[in-house]
Amino acid sequence: MRRSPARLVIALSVAAALAVFILYTSIAGAGTPQVVPTQIHKYVGQSVTLVGTVVSTRGDAHSTAGMRFVLSDPNQKVGRVPVVYHGSVPDLYKAGRVVVLTGTLRSGRFLANSGSLSTKCPSKYSPAKTSSKT
Amino acid sequence: MTAALVLGAVLALFVVAFVARPFLREPAPANDDLGAMSEGQRARLELVEERDRAVAALRELEFDHRTGKVTDADYRTQVGPLRARVAAALKALQPGAERGCERIARS
Amino acid sequence: MAELGRAALLLSLGLVAYAVVAGAHAAFHHRRRLAVSAQNALLAAFGTTFVAAVILWTALARRDFTFSYVAQHTSRKLPLGYALSAFWGGQEGSLLFWLLILTGYGALAVFLNRRQRELIAWVVPVLGGIAVFFAFMLCFISSPFGTQAAPPDGAGMVPSLQNPYMLAHPPMLYLGYVGLSIPFAFAMGALLSGRTDERWIVMTRRWTLAAWTFLGAGQLLGAHWAYVEIGWGGYYAWDPVENAAFMPWLAATAFLHSVMIQEKRGMLKVWNMVLVSLAFWLSILGTFLTRSNVVNSIHSFSQSPLGGWFLGFIGVITVFSAVLIYARLPLLRARTQLESLVSREATFLYNNLLLVAFCLTILWGVMYPVVSQAVRGETRSVSKPYYDFFLHSFGLPLLLLMGIGPLVAWRRASLRSLGRMFVIPFAVAAVTGGVLLALGYGSSAPGILAYTFCAFVAASIVLEFVRGRRATGSVVRLVARNRRRYGGYLVHVAVLLFAIGVAGSSAYQTIHEQTLKTGQSMRIAGYTLTYDRLDSVSGPNYTGFRAVLDVARGGSHIATVAPGENLYPIEGPANEASVYHDPRTLGDVFTTAQTIKGGSEIDLKVLTKPLVNLIWAAGFIFVFGSLVAMWPDAVEQRRLAERYAAAAA
Repeated sequence: MRRSPARLVIALSVAAALAVFILYTSIAGAGTPQVVPTQIHKYVGQSVTLVGTVVSTRGDAHSTAGMRFVLSDPNQKVGRVPVVYHGSVPDLYKAGRVVVLTGTLRSGRFLANSGSLSTKCPSKYSPAKTSSKT
Repeated sequence: MTAALVLGAVLALFVVAFVARPFLREPAPANDDLGAMSEGQRARLELVEERDRAVAALRELEFDHRTGKVTDADYRTQVGPLRARVAAALKALQPGAERGCERIARS
Repeated sequence: MAELGRAALLLSLGLVAYAVVAGAHAAFHHRRRLAVSAQNALLAAFGTTFVAAVILWTALARRDFTFSYVAQHTSRKLPLGYALSAFWGGQEGSLLFWLLILTGYGALAVFLNRRQRELIAWVVPVLGGIAVFFAFMLCFISSPFGTQAAPPDGAGMVPSLQNPYMLAHPPMLYLGYVGLSIPFAFAMGALLSGRTDERWIVMTRRWTLAAWTFLGAGQLLGAHWAYVEIGWGGYYAWDPVENAAFMPWLAATAFLHSVMIQEKRGMLKVWNMVLVSLAFWLSILGTFLTRSNVVNSIHSFSQSPLGGWFLGFIGVITVFSAVLIYARLPLLRARTQLESLVSREATFLYNNLLLVAFCLTILWGVMYPVVSQAVRGETRSVSKPYYDFFLHSFGLPLLLLMGIGPLVAWRRASLRSLGRMFVIPFAVAAVTGGVLLALGYGSSAPGILAYTFCAFVAASIVLEFVRGRRATGSVVRLVARNRRRYGGYLVHVAVLLFAIGVAGSSAYQTIHEQTLKTGQSMRIAGYTLTYDRLDSVSGPNYTGFRAVLDVARGGSHIATVAPGENLYPIEGPANEASVYHDPRTLGDVFTTAQTIKGGSEIDLKVLTKPLVNLIWAAGFIFVFGSLVAMWPDAVEQRRLAERYAAAAA
């Protein structure tokens, strides 16, 4: 009986898929660094994704000066980086929320890409807390 | 709390009874075997499946030919071996033809 | 009543543990009564889990804030429907929902197939084993029945979840995720029992199709929710949690196609075992990803103690299925071989390879931050460009295969027959591509390729129906006699519409943002939007505003839109997009608005999304096609009954 070409097809296809993949990652680069405020100083001038908790906010994201807020490490009190942002502000944004945005650190300030701000959904799957609402 | 305890106990009793039901219904059965298929029955099942595959393949070839997917020349090439396969599968299922299972399985 | 809920869950745990131990012993030693007892334990586990579920639902309906879970996820003013949907809205409740569906499906599958004693005897302990994990988590790690002193009001529900789509999206997804446990359990049961026949496939065919349909529909509902509720005008962001549902769907798609080859030709048996295990494995991985915060996601949540347990469970499933498949490799030897690289069997194989490759590249993208942290000590992530590259690399060939596969004969297709079958679809595709290029759609290469391939596929499907009708005399008779095939073609039509909708609304969309005072206008893609006034609105648990805008085209009024914001006193603000569905483009004019400094000036963002409504229409056709494919066929049932009676004779 003739040998089935299935194995050859599979081997060649796997090789082709790997080649496509390796080509992409080597040319396009291997992703964007994802950092928190205490790590950002290592990436001055580089485009990164910054994740942090909003400590304080002032200004309007639609004004020329933009919205200015300060981020600390997610859910911690360490690390401080001032951020300048222009663009849409998600509903859930407020002090105490964890946010994600892309941009570059220059002259000690994180200049965020316009419209890149997103907030994490407030925790549904966190350990149980007692409600203190009055 | 008391109501919850009582309801919980009732629930527990009910599920235990349900789980134990096979043993309560037949405390001393004549035969407690699961009734697994014998080797002969398994071989027969494979033959039956092979028969159904061969018949379905023939039916699909007829349909593909009627709908123009298979040319007349391709149809003539393929229909002979398929019909032979169906015939062999039917023959293997006849009584006393268990040895045929090896042939069908490898065809 | 919380105590009763806890007791019911403990009973569930005991029952499924019994199902595993007693069931495995009965299967190994061929003990009939013990096997039936183990089956009864699985059925009873559904009963006790249902009791626990009813208790939680009652507490949610009554806003009984002595239940911590109820206090965390509802409030007094929350409408009843949303309060009940909080069942699956939180960690503990969603785990209970998982267990409820799992035991329900398991009980039904085992009951319907109880006469296949030998196989079911092994299926029961596998299903029980899966249930043990979830029951254990609910009893000892993450219980929905924690109690507290009742506060005056609850924490409420996140406003973006107070949306009708959120009533349907999670249940559909869970019905899909959990449904993949059934074919997995039957596959493992077949291996454990050492069977070489295809009965497990026949028994689980409709289960797999149903789970796959629920998963697909659930994702579309989630995409539509994101589109109307989140306000960024998109429907899929390649977020890890979204990918977590897409990956098992891709694996299940491969399995559904590949299993046809095993039924018809006795081939790809190892593939099918691997695919069904992969689909189930990915469904558990998806459940893990949404709970562990292992990867950064806008959906994912704070650190939860469940992560480690889920990882352990995933490890157990991996080792169990891998060892079992390896040990039973001799049983999975193919009966026949691939005769030609140009045959329908071969196209199914290519289909498998592309789907699995796409699935694995998505998995790599999802896990990349974890891998890079482990290997380089630095968290790096990939985003849209990465996923788009592989969507085009694998998705476009898959689209083309959808059109090629049905035109190719089984076993071997001659060049002459291929030429005859391909000429019309190829001509249709060429003309479509040429016309679109002439109309200026060449700006997006993937977009125009997608449209051209869709034209090819559409033509091949239409030809299938035309030729089939000629052979059988009527379309109804054609579909009735070949439900799986023609139901499948309808699903392919849905995929086509989906692809056209995605291509149009992403490759050819326009976006514009502008600040407007009352009376001012904005122009975009032939539309003119004029800001008329700011209205106040109120609802049962919110107040807010709406910016009323007149939409015109060519100087004539065509619609009014009113984007704005709702403010929930407990939960906070929520954006409310307003969408005009344009029948001319089958697309949308999508608007969102935010007030500036609380005054009447607004920041208006408008997106035009051509053809986007084809995506949602595709959902209906997808479900319809799946229903046709899985509709019971009396002739087929008789044939199967005769087959198994003949075998037992």
